[in-house]
Amino acid sequence: MSESALDRTARALDLIPYLLEHQGISITELATVFGVTEKQINEDLILIHMCGLPGYTPLELIEMYYEDGFVTVSDPQSLKRPRKMTRSEVAAMLVSLDMMKSLQDTQLVAEIEGLQNKIRNGLQMEIPYVVISDTLTSPFVKVIEVAIMKSQALAIEYLSGSKDERSLRNIAPLELYVANSQIYLVAWCEKSGADRTFRVDRILACSVIEQGSLIPRPKRNQSMVGDNQVVLVVDHAARSFVEENQNIIQSIEQNERGYSAVLYPVDEEWLIRTIIGYGNKIRVEWPPAMAESIQVRVEAISQIYLDI
Amino acid sequence: MSDRKTERLINLTLALLATKRYLKKSEILANVAGYEGSPESQDRMFERDKDDLRSLGIDIEVGDLDIFFEDEPGYRIAQNSYELNITELTPRDLALLSVAANYWNGSILAADAQSGIRKLNSLGIPTAFDFDLRIKYKFENPAQHLDILSEAITTRRSVTFSYDSYSLKFRQIDPYRILIWNGYWYLIGFDHDRKDIRIFKLSRMVSDIKLSKKKSVFEIPEEFDAEKYLPTIDLQIQHLAKIRVKKGVGLILRERGKVLQEAEDSDLVEIGYENEATFLREILWNGTNVEIIEPINLRELLVSTLNEFVL
Repeated sequence: MSESALDRTARALDLIPYLLEHQGISITELATVFGVTEKQINEDLILIHMCGLPGYTPLELIEMYYEDGFVTVSDPQSLKRPRKMTRSEVAAMLVSLDMMKSLQDTQLVAEIEGLQNKIRNGLQMEIPYVVISDTLTSPFVKVIEVAIMKSQALAIEYLSGSKDERSLRNIAPLELYVANSQIYLVAWCEKSGADRTFRVDRILACSVIEQGSLIPRPKRNQSMVGDNQVVLVVDHAARSFVEENQNIIQSIEQNERGYSAVLYPVDEEWLIRTIIGYGNKIRVEWPPAMAESIQVRVEAISQIYLDI
Repeated sequence: MSDRKTERLINLTLALLATKRYLKKSEILANVAGYEGSPESQDRMFERDKDDLRSLGIDIEVGDLDIFFEDEPGYRIAQNSYELNITELTPRDLALLSVAANYWNGSILAADAQSGIRKLNSLGIPTAFDFDLRIKYKFENPAQHLDILSEAITTRRSVTFSYDSYSLKFRQIDPYRILIWNGYWYLIGFDHDRKDIRIFKLSRMVSDIKLSKKKSVFEIPEEFDAEKYLPTIDLQIQHLAKIRVKKGVGLILRERGKVLQEAEDSDLVEIGYENEATFLREILWNGTNVEIIEPINLRELLVSTLNEFVL
């Protein structure tokens, strides 16, 4: 085990006051909360069990019971309250609240700022992070958030960038996130029969529908990965392709010329069109049919511009 | 063995917390479980343990001498310096914090945010989710440079790294702040070669980051405001183009632009764009459905891009 005695000590010191406020908690849950394995928690508990105050008779030891995977502390000795927060804990929390602020409208902002003052707790400290608020908004974010909370189904009109079509879809929204300067929605899409990612700025209309009218999402793991492997050689100049498409790139290697990326696209049509946009800065190494298709299309486009 | 050391550190903390008066070193070594071996090695053990606990942020007070102690200093941990002492948090505060802590997605800040939340959750305040905050951040990748850069900033050390850019590869920067912007991480700082403030995307740092040996080699200008240095390019539409779009397709371009003239199988659309390269990619993405009419130089640029595909 590579964990240092210091890390374990820190965890043990936090574990006891936590147990005191969560009497009868399961070891499984403790492991999740503390981000370690159940085995590790068990070992911690055995260790804590032997600690206490000088004298070290049963009266002076930390008293706790663990039975059938559930833990209770009856005497924590001098460890009744949690340790004060470290500077990096305070910093991490302040910055996450800054991020939360940047995603909210004014109503919550004041409340979050009040909370930040409590956390800062008079502590003068330099925080090396700055969260830049952005103007990423969509009139539908609120509706979607509520729908996720309440497991409501939505009917959306969507302008599909990857298919170049406008479509009506019934969806069960699952997750909303900001990445690549966009807001994305992951949802079970009835029409595709699979989970899909939507750009929220391309949702043209959105309304709540009867949950029962939606074909339920199958329990099996929904993956957004296609069946066929594509290998691309990406020049440095086209690195924005790599940055914007992390989620579909399976593996990537960097070399002097750029990157070699392996992906399994769900939507090959979209990928072909995107590659053409990068000129020859992205080359298809595999499959050959995709490389040919690109050549054919490039020639067709060239026909439009014969005057130059 | 790590078990024994951990046990000893916990016992030492418990004992120093429980005492009101200062404990002499000899009392500690004699009574706190785990101090074994020759007097010299016990002494070394105790010195190391003190340093270790301090590195966890625990304040061990060294007591001024009680007249009876002669030369021996005493030790204790004051409860109010050890314990979390915070203005009363509401159940809603705790819920907001736990939502916010989940933004980090495995980056270096995730662990700190989570352990902070655990401590707050040990105060016995319930959590109440009475809001619908479901939107969150997802970062391109857990940025591995964060801890080293934040150390460089707080200790005012300059950093060097290789940067994936067209011109200058090797950079030496006085780091001012780490920016979180649109789901990307950036470093802003003073570039020694450019003699100016520059912004760097963390994902384009292609080497390890090296810190200067010396601390305090620069100062962050007072009232430094990172927002002033952000590229403003996306805020204003700078160019206008005319494009011919076939009927029923090029929907996203149509959504953004306005139709100037309708024809039988296509429309002439006027559309603003910010960045030439990005716009060109968008046009090419549409294949034969969209043709650039104006500006001419963009038309030419598109053709030369196509000509790069030589068989």
